[in-house]
Amino acid sequence: MRCRTYNRKKILIVFLSAAAVMAALIGRLAYLMLFEAEYYQELAQDLHERERPVKAARGEIIDRNGTVLATNRTVCTISVIHSQITEPERVVDVLSAELEMDADEVQKKVEKVSSMERIRANVDKETGDRIREYGLDGVKVDEDYKRYYPYDELASRVLGFTGGDNQGIIGLEVKYEDYLKGQDGTILTVTDARGVELDGVAEDRIEPVPGQTLQVTLDYNIQSYCQQAAENVLEEKQAEGVSVLLMNPQNGEIYAMVNAPEFNLNEPFELNTGEDAENLPDEELQDALNQMWRNRCINDTYEPGSAFKIMTASACLEEGVVSLDDTFVCPGYRIVEDRKIRCHKTGGHGAETFADGIRNSCNPVFMDIGLRLGADRFCDYFEQFGLMDLTGIDLPGEAGTIMHDRDAIGPVELATMTFGQSFQVTPVQMAVTVSSIINGGVRVTPHVAAGVVDQEGKMVEKFEFPEKKGIVSAEVSETMRALLKSVVEEGSGSNAFLEGYSIGGKTATSQTLPRSANKYIASFVGFAPTEDPQVLGIVIIHDPQGVYYGGTIAAPVMREIFDNVLPYLGIEKSESMVYTE
Amino acid sequence: MAAVVIVLLLAGLVLLHSTSAYNGRVKFHDEWYYLKKQGFATLIGLLGMVFVAKIDYHRWAVLAVPGYLAAVALSVAVMLFGDEYNGSKRWLSLGPFSFQPSEFAKVAVIIFLAWLISRHAGRLDRFRRLLLTLVPVLPIAGLVGASNLSTAIIILGIAVVMIFVSSPKYSPFIWMGSAGAAFMAVFLAMESYRLERLAVWRDPEKYEKGYQTLQGLYAIGSGGVFGRGLGNSVQKLGFLPEAQNDMIFSIICEELGLVGAGAVILLFLLLIWRFFITAVRAPDLFGALIASGAMAHIMIQVILNIAVVTNSIPNTGITLPFISYGGTSVVFLLLEIGVVLNVSGLVE
Repeated sequence: MRCRTYNRKKILIVFLSAAAVMAALIGRLAYLMLFEAEYYQELAQDLHERERPVKAARGEIIDRNGTVLATNRTVCTISVIHSQITEPERVVDVLSAELEMDADEVQKKVEKVSSMERIRANVDKETGDRIREYGLDGVKVDEDYKRYYPYDELASRVLGFTGGDNQGIIGLEVKYEDYLKGQDGTILTVTDARGVELDGVAEDRIEPVPGQTLQVTLDYNIQSYCQQAAENVLEEKQAEGVSVLLMNPQNGEIYAMVNAPEFNLNEPFELNTGEDAENLPDEELQDALNQMWRNRCINDTYEPGSAFKIMTASACLEEGVVSLDDTFVCPGYRIVEDRKIRCHKTGGHGAETFADGIRNSCNPVFMDIGLRLGADRFCDYFEQFGLMDLTGIDLPGEAGTIMHDRDAIGPVELATMTFGQSFQVTPVQMAVTVSSIINGGVRVTPHVAAGVVDQEGKMVEKFEFPEKKGIVSAEVSETMRALLKSVVEEGSGSNAFLEGYSIGGKTATSQTLPRSANKYIASFVGFAPTEDPQVLGIVIIHDPQGVYYGGTIAAPVMREIFDNVLPYLGIEKSESMVYTE
Repeated sequence: MAAVVIVLLLAGLVLLHSTSAYNGRVKFHDEWYYLKKQGFATLIGLLGMVFVAKIDYHRWAVLAVPGYLAAVALSVAVMLFGDEYNGSKRWLSLGPFSFQPSEFAKVAVIIFLAWLISRHAGRLDRFRRLLLTLVPVLPIAGLVGASNLSTAIIILGIAVVMIFVSSPKYSPFIWMGSAGAAFMAVFLAMESYRLERLAVWRDPEKYEKGYQTLQGLYAIGSGGVFGRGLGNSVQKLGFLPEAQNDMIFSIICEELGLVGAGAVILLFLLLIWRFFITAVRAPDLFGALIASGAMAHIMIQVILNIAVVTNSIPNTGITLPFISYGGTSVVFLLLEIGVVLNVSGLVE
């Protein structure tokens, strides 16, 4: 049977419609490939390019003489690329053995379908090299930087440490993160869908910018010496903790800040008590670690005790409610309203001048002058001295002062406050306030960082810290220096006396709360030379066993430190003393 | 026509190799894996084509009914004993060879319909008759469609084109077209995943399932006028899954650009034109219908494939004749060409 014309016509129609549709498709293609090409190419490029971050080396931390306190070490990050693994069992065996990890844990990561799975970071370089030598498919060993602290425990809470991503966690590492961090770079490579880089395709590289070197005011030698002294007394007195803070009272530079026992910055997640971290429940461990990382010099407050008599005396002298020759009688206690408040000497100091009162650290004398001043003016001076403000130290987490409400201060509260009880301040607050009283009345900002130095060690950015003048008058400051010198030379601070040096200071012993626990804090704040103070230190012994008087146990620590640090800082023994030797 | 087919085959093999080398290396550690299989199938197909081209096409009329029944039987068999691959039961295993019955069904339908229509020629002017002619196709389309909707659409499309060609009328086809569209709408609305496909088509970037389509578009967009050059596609490196299958055209675009892709389309158009010439000059209706059926087959597949790849229509799995990877498809396409060659050979 033959074709008819309409058959042919219809075949033609079919063909023509096919041709038309194909022409339309070519048009569609042209539209996609010419007009939308840019859009899709960009998307495709994003997809094909793999950004690999290149970590920037974190800036070093160096002490005032250039000794490196924090630096970086090359470590390795071990990861697996699921799709490239050819011998999963062997990979699990090798990695769990080399990294001392649980085989199940490794296996889970090896079997996880992901483009790249991190097995462990911060593996030391030797282990990384060994793993690389196995030549296992799909196992990637990337070199990386890890923070390293050459002196392990030195100034642990001041320097701080870094976490897994090299970010600062406590201390200077946090405070100066922006300077230290640097800027990570990236490598852009074109990869196939499995993440395998393609050869012969140019890679874009953005170089990392290393972090800046931070110079601090700490002095490695002074810090080490203070740490040693603190550890000695810690052991000797079976104390719970010993804090030592040494600073320049003229400009606020901190030479040393010790909180014994320190912890190892290279193992910041291991408890310094020697307790096995793995036996503790997670929450308890975290609490213990947080406790360990506290910098008691700035994060915790205490009742300053008799050392606060420096402030009471300065306030009263400044206000003129007392003079050095005013006489007082101490029967061993003073009755304020209905309360009998004792002096530390039960039998009483008898008749004494105000100057004697300071040397004897006599509580009734200070209660008397405090009551003369009155609660309002006392509070005014408290504020004038800056005790209600933070010191502004460049370390994170400074604690504020815990103080009565002005309206709630009755005679009893006022009386106890005159000798440093019933309120709390931080050790650094004490050090700074005493500094401002003895340096002529300038409240300095305590600080640890000095500035940023370049590769050659030249300072490129010097940090500025505010100062506030007029805390006390120059005369009162001078009087206080002399009085505090006499405390050391003739009074309760005699254990801090160092032949050939003029040292001023004040002892303190305070009972911690709750009083029923019978725990004490023994402390001593001292400075030298009294004529022109260059060093001011504070030693605080928490919960010592046996004798707990600041004059007996804390003052000798200060003497020992001054004995070494004063010559080290080039402070000469006074001529007259040399002469008499 | 043979020349056009050979050119398409050679181009197809080269492009297939370029596209599949990576997947072959990754999956079978042999970049020639796909090419070897495809080359082997092509050889068989070519031999078959030469052989078939020498057989008077009228002799196939005898096989029209058995062929049709065999296609039905095989479609049933594949539903029962088929091998699953990528989630669909489409393959029958015969020893080392696996075989896709739906490819056979297309050829069987062409010959069966050509036979049926030419036997009852002249009676197709009545609408009822038209529909009755379509009826025998439905079981095959239904069976195939159970696992492979796209092939069912192709089979139906071939049938409609053949009936259209053989009928002097136009209006029934407009009705059929409208009915088909209505049916599609109901069919799509029945299952939410089909509607989802539509949504993915409208905006592939928003849906996870638009991944393949979007990757195809990335490839096309990356091509530009002249492409990245043969072998330089990045998308085939695993970004575009199974790049050697349905989406191979997008890789052609990426590597050869608008120029290369246009050339491929023109080659297909040339081939269709040759079919058209053969159909028009065929000595009888049977031959003309075979040629028209083959033309419809290739035309529908090429158009649908390219439309899918360019996201002009929603995604559905249709291969690009001669170029996409698939042994059964190549063998039966070549056999079909063989038959058409014979039809055209008798002209001279």
